Amino acid sequence: MANRAGAQRPNGATQGKICQFKLVLLGESAVGKSSLVLRFVKGQFHEYQESTIGAAFLTQTVCLDDTTVKFEIWDTAGQERYHSLAPMYYRGAQAAIVVYDITNQDTFGRAKTWVKELQRQASPNIVIALAGNKSDLSNKRMVEYEEAQAYAEENSLLFMETSAKTAMNVNDIFLAIAKKLPKNEGGGAAQPRQQGMKINNSETSQASEGGCCK
Amino acid sequence: MDEEYDVIVLGTGLKECILSGLMSTDGKKVLHMDRNTYYGGESASLTPLSQLFDHFKQPAPVDDKYGRPRDWNVDLIPKFLMANGKLVQLLVYTGVTRYLEFKSLDGSFVRKTDGKLHKVPADEREALSSSLMGLFEKRRFKKLLSYCQSLDLDNPAAKNKDDKKIDPDNLDATQLYTEFGVDKNTQDFTGHAIALFLNDDYLHKNCKELIRRIQLYSGSLARYGKSPYLYPLYGLGELPQGFARLSAIYGGTYMLGKTVDELVMEDGKVVGVKSGGEVAKTKMVICDPSYVPHKVKKTGRVVRAICILKGKVEGVNNSESLQIIIPQNQVDRKNDIYICVLSNQQCVTAKGFYLGIVSTTVETSDPEGELQIGIDILNGKDKSNIAEKYVWYSLIITP
Repeated sequence: MANRAGAQRPNGATQGKICQFKLVLLGESAVGKSSLVLRFVKGQFHEYQESTIGAAFLTQTVCLDDTTVKFEIWDTAGQERYHSLAPMYYRGAQAAIVVYDITNQDTFGRAKTWVKELQRQASPNIVIALAGNKSDLSNKRMVEYEEAQAYAEENSLLFMETSAKTAMNVNDIFLAIAKKLPKNEGGGAAQPRQQGMKINNSETSQASEGGCCK
Repeated sequence: MDEEYDVIVLGTGLKECILSGLMSTDGKKVLHMDRNTYYGGESASLTPLSQLFDHFKQPAPVDDKYGRPRDWNVDLIPKFLMANGKLVQLLVYTGVTRYLEFKSLDGSFVRKTDGKLHKVPADEREALSSSLMGLFEKRRFKKLLSYCQSLDLDNPAAKNKDDKKIDPDNLDATQLYTEFGVDKNTQDFTGHAIALFLNDDYLHKNCKELIRRIQLYSGSLARYGKSPYLYPLYGLGELPQGFARLSAIYGGTYMLGKTVDELVMEDGKVVGVKSGGEVAKTKMVICDPSYVPHKVKKTGRVVRAICILKGKVEGVNNSESLQIIIPQNQVDRKNDIYICVLSNQQCVTAKGFYLGIVSTTVETSDPEGELQIGIDILNGKDKSNIAEKYVWYSLIITP
């Protein structure tokens, strides 16, 4: 259940807040979505990353002052390739990183489409970050930094150019998202959601999905 | 697309997605296509609300007459999951449950000949307090229930431990009822509202299926409380999407909005699927019947009425979400009438509105009339609870 900010535990130790958020990655195939996640979660980079990572989702935490932000990171599992991503994917997501490849103008166009889609379909208060990935290949750059930045500002998106290969700005973009996410219960992390339950083998656990803090 | 696959799946209905997920998990190379641009085929949940109106070729309601349009997720074919049933087991086994959240339904009701709705009694305590039966009948029903619940069908050696002469191997359902002396009314709600048989064909079949179904109902009820039924938040359409994601995670390729021109056959065997001038090779195709219209035949029709309700259904102890079963005998029919009511609790309607769906297997030339008794229940005493109503048919198809 929710650990309130600085709540006194029975043993007297103070416990910071732990907030959990669902974060989804969106963007054209091969822009480096999985690579960004892998870099952020495991600190690894593979030049020839398999196109799917075979996991339902990965988790990683970042610490902000007295708050621990736990990201549940969902990858597309390749369903974006033929425009076949299920709406369930971004249902209830509180944050999204829309990724494009700075060496490919088309992927930037696609990224804009994804931002529109999120604004239309996702939770109204979703925090969206735009990531211009592959910044290590700036000699082949086709999307200007200023152009992307102007677009991000217009649409109130966080924006960074990143490189999963060199790790540039990878932790930073997740940290920036963590900072922007509302961390008080009732702070409107997502639209108020109905409480549902998860089913599992032995018993049921009531998931409290209202606020962000568990 | 111009590749060879172990299997090509056409259509993203629930069954197709489950199979696709299982086969990808098993290491098979799967291509999964759908002619629609959305997942789920007939088991999709329509959203926003305007999609429902589009589906029935009606003008969408102005503004937000029915609350926020995006809050609606309307199933064309509503179904509930038994909390202890196979689908739930499959969701847990495959891990797909982690993508979904569920809500238990508030109630399970049955209509009696007197026209009143009664809670379906499923344990011994409820059997004794139920308004469905008289005093002596309650005791007989309780005995039947305890017998079924205590029987271990998988362990026949234990079967006669407590009970005298009953041998379920050699009894049909009618004989089992006779053994316990329960009357016709009790048989009706037991067979139809607990065991969920759609008609009376089961009466002359071995009683073990009846017993198994009673056990499933009781076990499911014991699991979450108010009813044995579970329903996924945001509609049934979430289920196929969940299994599709499973398939994709294990390498399945997804193509929506892909018209299938034909199955390519050689020597009577399928060798590929042609779409948009390209052929994907395979030795196995799995598809829903709509992709092979000339290879299937129609065996019946189901009629459904989808209703937007302005308030709760009357006479069901304030339950907001429920299933009501009208056993066929109560209304001189061969097939039961089912009523599902869903609410904002399941995230399928806007706040304050309800969704009521009445369905049955068509028996006459006036299918809509066959639903009337269910529609009256939804509409309430004042005949004013239904704000919108659409009636439609679907075919029952076999290969």
